[in-house]
Amino acid sequence: MNEKFEPNIVGFLCNWCSYAGADLAGTSRIKYPPNIKVIRVMCSGRVNPLFVVNALQQGADGVLIGSCHPGECHYEQGNYLARRRFAVLKKILEYMGIDPGRVRMTWVSAAEGKKFADVVKKVTEDVREIGPMQHFKRRNKW
Amino acid sequence: MVNEKQLREEVKKIVSRDDVKYVIGYEKGTYGFQVSPSFAFTPEEADKFIFSPLCVNNLAVYLMLEEKPPLHKNEKEDTRKIGLIVKGCDSRAVVQIIQEKGMKREDVILIGVACPGIIDPKKIKARFPPQMKNVDVREEDEKIVLTINGTTHNIPKDEIIFEKCKHCEKPNPVLYDLLIGEEVKGTKKEDYKDIKAFEKKSLKEKWEYWEKQFERCIRCYACRDICPMCYCKNCTADQLSPQWIRRSVNLSENTAWNIMRAYHLAGRCTGCGECERACPMGIPLTKLNKKIEKDVKEMFDYMPGMDAEKKPLLAMFKPEDPEEFIL
Repeated sequence: MNEKFEPNIVGFLCNWCSYAGADLAGTSRIKYPPNIKVIRVMCSGRVNPLFVVNALQQGADGVLIGSCHPGECHYEQGNYLARRRFAVLKKILEYMGIDPGRVRMTWVSAAEGKKFADVVKKVTEDVREIGPMQHFKRRNKW
Repeated sequence: MVNEKQLREEVKKIVSRDDVKYVIGYEKGTYGFQVSPSFAFTPEEADKFIFSPLCVNNLAVYLMLEEKPPLHKNEKEDTRKIGLIVKGCDSRAVVQIIQEKGMKREDVILIGVACPGIIDPKKIKARFPPQMKNVDVREEDEKIVLTINGTTHNIPKDEIIFEKCKHCEKPNPVLYDLLIGEEVKGTKKEDYKDIKAFEKKSLKEKWEYWEKQFERCIRCYACRDICPMCYCKNCTADQLSPQWIRRSVNLSENTAWNIMRAYHLAGRCTGCGECERACPMGIPLTKLNKKIEKDVKEMFDYMPGMDAEKKPLLAMFKPEDPEEFIL
């Protein structure tokens, strides 16, 4: 294969900060890789680790979870709870032999369009280096 | 060493109380090394109760398995208490359920027994042929004395008890209403030696190991059914809409199931090892659970099932939680 591997990244962005940040990146015309597919959730605390595992199963090579900065969550503590959850999930994935770099979390506020673009660039490059997700991808599609 | 006579006396006293429905304990199984869970509804039934190092079951699971059918008109809910014989790890499971508000403290009567270390059925199977008659088992200092057909076998404890019991930090019940016998002096330390050794392997080696394990999974969900912490009314594995984990048995779904099972027990698993014992395919689930236990201890300084007043791990946070993985 001569073609460069283009990773598939699923982004779970929180409605109040990261999604608005991504929006700002768009309206300010900042370029960032088109590999990220954004799913809007109301809060990063809404992101069940099951979503992440399911995304990896269905062909995502990486997952990015975007939430507000600590203390700025619209629901006061959602991002703190999410931080705990993904700290544990990443450890489990690493222990099972799945590169923890596939699951990333970031704090992006609504005013940080530039930061969002940088994060997506970094995650895309990281995942491209790690390579395609082959561990427990679903084989049969119907 | 637990005095069985005293145990039966206490159980009888508890069963005869008006506000107690039944007491769950152990009785002799049908054959040789078996011990089975037993339910005493009347004082007479308490006569068959025993406690020996063969009592492997975690009885805390029965608290949550009890079916509560819908009530008839004018029928009142049965609010009587349930008695339970608990070892160290069982009591931690009960504490964890109370912590999560799965049940109330006043709904259970806990009869604590200090755990001498439990005999691993797999190890004993490898050592002795199957027996028809019940085997007499006693615990003496650091030895286990088995009397099989009149012959006595003295076996050092470390050779025959569970791996998890070798490093058990809490052999004494954490929470109990009355304690039978004396507390054991717990001097053992959990060092997570195997886990640390496994962590040092490369990602590829780790995945190769787990791939082999998960490929064997037949998804019987025995690990879930026996787990005292798995008491959700609707398990994600059974859910059809949305169906997060498909029912097909293949590597992808098996891995997803095993990740979710392990994850759901993060900060909740008390390390009783029942899942691994129940697994018909011999998947080393304790290896996974212990790893999470270790990480949770390191990252959040939290041990599940220690304090019924505390909030569960994933339902609380501290502003200074580790966040080096965040971009």
